[in-house]
Amino acid sequence: MNWRNETMFVTGATGFIGGRVSERMMQAGVPKVRALVHGMHRAARIARMPVELCIGDLQDRESLRQALGGAKVVIHCGLGLPGTIVRETENMLAVAYAAGVKRFIHVSTAAVYGITPPAGSETEEAPLRRTGDPYCDQKAAAEKVVLHYGKRGLPVVILRPSIVWGPYSAWSTRLMDDLRAGQVAFIDGGRGACNTSYVDNLIDAMVLGLENDRGLNQTFFITDGERVSWGDFIRAHMALMEPSPEVGVISRAEIEASRGKSSGLLLGSIKATAQVVRSKEFRQMLMQIPLTEAVMKKAWIWVSSLPAEKRERLRARLGVPRRAAKSASAQFIPDAVTEATQSTTVFFSIEKARKVLGYEPRVRFAEGMKLVEQWLRYAAYL
Amino acid sequence: MTERIGLAILGCGAITRSEHIPAVQAHPGVQLVALVDTDLPRANALIQSRGLGCKAVADYHEVLGQVDAVINALPNHLHVSSNMDCLGAGRHVLCEKPLAILAAGARSCTEFAEEKKLVLAVGMNRRFAASHSLLKLVLEENLLGSIQSYDFQYGGSFDWRSASGFYFNRAKAGGGALVDFGVHMLDSVIDWFGPVSAFDYQDDDWGSGVEANMFLDVKHAGRFGDIPGHLRISRTFALKNRILVRGTAAIAEISVQDPEVVVIHRTIGGTPASQTLQLEKFPAGSSYWRQLDNFVHCITNRGRPEVDGWQAVRVLELIESCYAHKGRIPEPWAESAGEIGASNGRVGK
Repeated sequence: MNWRNETMFVTGATGFIGGRVSERMMQAGVPKVRALVHGMHRAARIARMPVELCIGDLQDRESLRQALGGAKVVIHCGLGLPGTIVRETENMLAVAYAAGVKRFIHVSTAAVYGITPPAGSETEEAPLRRTGDPYCDQKAAAEKVVLHYGKRGLPVVILRPSIVWGPYSAWSTRLMDDLRAGQVAFIDGGRGACNTSYVDNLIDAMVLGLENDRGLNQTFFITDGERVSWGDFIRAHMALMEPSPEVGVISRAEIEASRGKSSGLLLGSIKATAQVVRSKEFRQMLMQIPLTEAVMKKAWIWVSSLPAEKRERLRARLGVPRRAAKSASAQFIPDAVTEATQSTTVFFSIEKARKVLGYEPRVRFAEGMKLVEQWLRYAAYL
Repeated sequence: MTERIGLAILGCGAITRSEHIPAVQAHPGVQLVALVDTDLPRANALIQSRGLGCKAVADYHEVLGQVDAVINALPNHLHVSSNMDCLGAGRHVLCEKPLAILAAGARSCTEFAEEKKLVLAVGMNRRFAASHSLLKLVLEENLLGSIQSYDFQYGGSFDWRSASGFYFNRAKAGGGALVDFGVHMLDSVIDWFGPVSAFDYQDDDWGSGVEANMFLDVKHAGRFGDIPGHLRISRTFALKNRILVRGTAAIAEISVQDPEVVVIHRTIGGTPASQTLQLEKFPAGSSYWRQLDNFVHCITNRGRPEVDGWQAVRVLELIESCYAHKGRIPEPWAESAGEIGASNGRVGK
């Protein structure tokens, strides 16, 4: 389709990916970008562009109908909390379908295979299984709803990026903060697969999904196509800092052993929950529940699955430290989610995107890091 | 006890809720007569929740005959017309910043207030932080030696929950970061260092007129000589939120987080040392309370407010010049993507 003459409707427009989508579309000269805005106060980045800020809520179909206006292209970058992801996606799909939208780009995630995708999930043919993680499972369920609407005739394309990075990304800003705080470790030597998806590469893939019909009703992994490890990613950021911070190495076995010995995570979480739920009765009830480590691990996974901004707000409200404390020997012990995220050995294949969409990642890792460095300096992180 | 000044607050948005109402409640010299808001239920809810015991009206014209003065906290684009109405009715006005979107509007209000012999004060609450007058004393007493330059930065993730959301609309707000927080910074530095004689301004406006980031290099031509200053504001990034004034003998620092003190940094015997200065006698209460107190004092004594309309005119003239001669902040990371889509040979087949 000739998307250049179309009004674009972007959900998640106040976020990292949606904000950049809005910028790229303005640069491409589309006649209009309608940006779905839930909290107006978060719109400073996109408000500097002549986009239409459309107040709406993914949980409210009527507000979506009004916000969509006459747009015939939807780029759905919006991300709700676990528990709302599927419903919000379905709301957007239903409104788009009723409005005769000509293309619906759904930004999913490679995490549909879990926070630690298992071997065998390298290609899109790998079947989706329940992972037990609410974010991952709901993103997977949302994909099914998208494909369902595709079968009904809504032209949909699903993209599965992984670690979406670039200027404005919390992957870089949090890492810089954590490096400064001495809260980073090379897990198993940093060998885990990072599966970077530079934000502009992802947006190139979105545009390809708009431009050709071969990708309709299909799902594509979108990464930078380079075998960047977590060690590479962390070291590239360390190199920007003066003096370069020291980062230790820790094995997963050591992390597990340390977590087994320490009840700090468990107690910290109980404390945090008690701060939120202020009733005395609830606290008493809570203390009677046998909270296993597995349960708490899930709680951490849920918290970490939230977008960075929501996570920080939640952490601030709870008064929870951003990372588990250092052990007695001062060796930093990464939290469960960081461990899970950085432990996969799977590098996702982008061959299908290459063949079907004609996708070729333009921004290589080294080039992306140069741009991130320039931005970090501008954003006063360096 | 003298009779209290009858007051109406125009606009029940965020600043009224968080600052003006507590200040009014705490001030013995004023009596709140009415809250004005086109959203009457909002005004009524506020009256109820704060136990204000005043009336709610949708149109300020209804109450102008019943008050002595107003606090104007309407969205920026409504300031001039409402100020003129209130002054025309013989009411004193404390207007939230900016006094107007354009300097011409601010000038009209100021001249009209003078003609009517009424007080027109502008809500630059930061003037009423102890550090503002302390730094003035530090400069006057020559504690820093010869002033060399200053660096003033303020930034964080924008989180101002305005009821109307007018601040992202150029026509209603008058601009972005510069006209919003910039008026405070410029008001302060002009008060400290004198009028601005030259400037170089850049922002990141991509066509909406509502910049999120700005850099402003200025030169002052005041009694301390030609002082160069660098100002930066961000609505997207956390900055250091402080001003550093560099002199030949010492550096003065004011942190936005602690606006009641000035910290002097110097080297003593080759060792860096710092000293915190604090005024021993300074009125208690928030800067908004002190601002209101100054307003009340001026009404009672027919005095000149700490920040009058002419200062707002000077600041707005500078802001207008900045917008008229602005450059674009380079954003190579944003420009790097190049042409998008199949017309670019590197993408698409």
